[in-house]
Amino acid sequence: MALIQIRDLVKTFGTHTVLQGVNLEVQKGDLKVVMGPSGCGKSTLLRCLNRLVEPTSGEIHFRGENILGPNVEVRALRQNIGFVFQQFALYRHLTVLDNVSLGLRKLRGMKRSEAEEKALAQLKHLDMEAHRHKYPAQISGGQKQRVAIARALAMDPAVVVFDEPTSALDPVMVREVAELFTRLNREGVTMLCVTHDLALASQISEKVVFLDRGVVRAEEKIRHLARDHADPRVRTFFGGKE
Amino acid sequence: MSFWNILAQLAQGLVYTLWVTLVCSATGMAVGLAVAGLRRMGSPILTSILDGYTYVFRGIPVLVMLFMVYFGLPSLGLKVSPLPAMALSLGLIASAYLAEVFRGALDSVDGSEILAAEAMGMSRLQVFLHIELPQMFRFAVPGMVNEFTSILKYSPFAYTVGIPEITKQAMTLTATTLRGIEIYLAVGMLYFAIYRVLLTGVQWLERRHQIPGMETN
Repeated sequence: MALIQIRDLVKTFGTHTVLQGVNLEVQKGDLKVVMGPSGCGKSTLLRCLNRLVEPTSGEIHFRGENILGPNVEVRALRQNIGFVFQQFALYRHLTVLDNVSLGLRKLRGMKRSEAEEKALAQLKHLDMEAHRHKYPAQISGGQKQRVAIARALAMDPAVVVFDEPTSALDPVMVREVAELFTRLNREGVTMLCVTHDLALASQISEKVVFLDRGVVRAEEKIRHLARDHADPRVRTFFGGKE
Repeated sequence: MSFWNILAQLAQGLVYTLWVTLVCSATGMAVGLAVAGLRRMGSPILTSILDGYTYVFRGIPVLVMLFMVYFGLPSLGLKVSPLPAMALSLGLIASAYLAEVFRGALDSVDGSEILAAEAMGMSRLQVFLHIELPQMFRFAVPGMVNEFTSILKYSPFAYTVGIPEITKQAMTLTATTLRGIEIYLAVGMLYFAIYRVLLTGVQWLERRHQIPGMETN
């Protein structure tokens, strides 16, 4: 059974249909990459997963349960889906340690000492322990991303989703991010990453899902998409000839 | 009577001035915070009602409101003591201004942080208490100091309902000594001293709780 199964997902904003029947599966242990041009609906798709955005129609099954049903405990669902935002969205009034431990204290009911111990272990795992007393304004973009990942992982989610993880980082950092993602995935973290960064995608996953104009157009190896795909738009996007 | 004697005489009203300022500031803070918080989390209808409250209370002169409460309400069978009358007039008018200060400060909280907290599974109330409120207070400090200073400067109206604060003491003293210039100069100095202490206290608090990247000045 797939961890996440998306069927015929449609999302309409007013008269504009962003997702036009998306079908996608994420298995436990996957590092799935969704690519597509800006405005193709990648971020909307991620936000539908934890119902930050309410889909118009379709189904999303999470661990076999349709999470778009009426009796779904949305807050509990969100605690199971770690979210790392494009600009990282760290709480700027809290230290690195408090950013990671807040959810454990307020949502899991842990005591401060217990939550900080767990948060510290997660920060250590991501080489951010030395920065634990700093505020978000005092650390670099790459460090902010590590804190955001630690914050998501501390909640022991079933899957971590990444929204354009390299868009706020300089190109040199892409390799570091790729190495980190590969390491976390090897350790068993299920990941779903949306990006239009071809360099990142090619380093972390052989196959990618190509989302275009609100539908999944292909799920293939990047080199096949660049060289052999029938649609010239797809070939162009992946750096092949038209 | 020396200038120091005048100051000493006026200082008898100091406690009342401070007490009126404190009570009205506390009322303004509590109601202003409730209005801003409910407006942030409430329905469109509630927002309209709260906007109406701030619109009306910001438009009423303090003295008119004070007389309505202190002299007007007894005709409806509601007798209000002087200090509660100040809280219900100056305090509520200050709350309308403070609600606007808080609204502006809440709007300064980064929307992506609110979204991140919701994505984490926090309820709307948890997001407000743990993300929005702590940041709001830091952004609101300059506006809050302004409003507390206004409350201090409107506190002399308390003498009209019989509270013997600094200005009341000055009037009594002027009537007996006819040394108005010195007496009111001393009154001005006392108010400035209170303002200075208040400002120093706030600046100390600001420095103590300063967070890199969130400085307001």
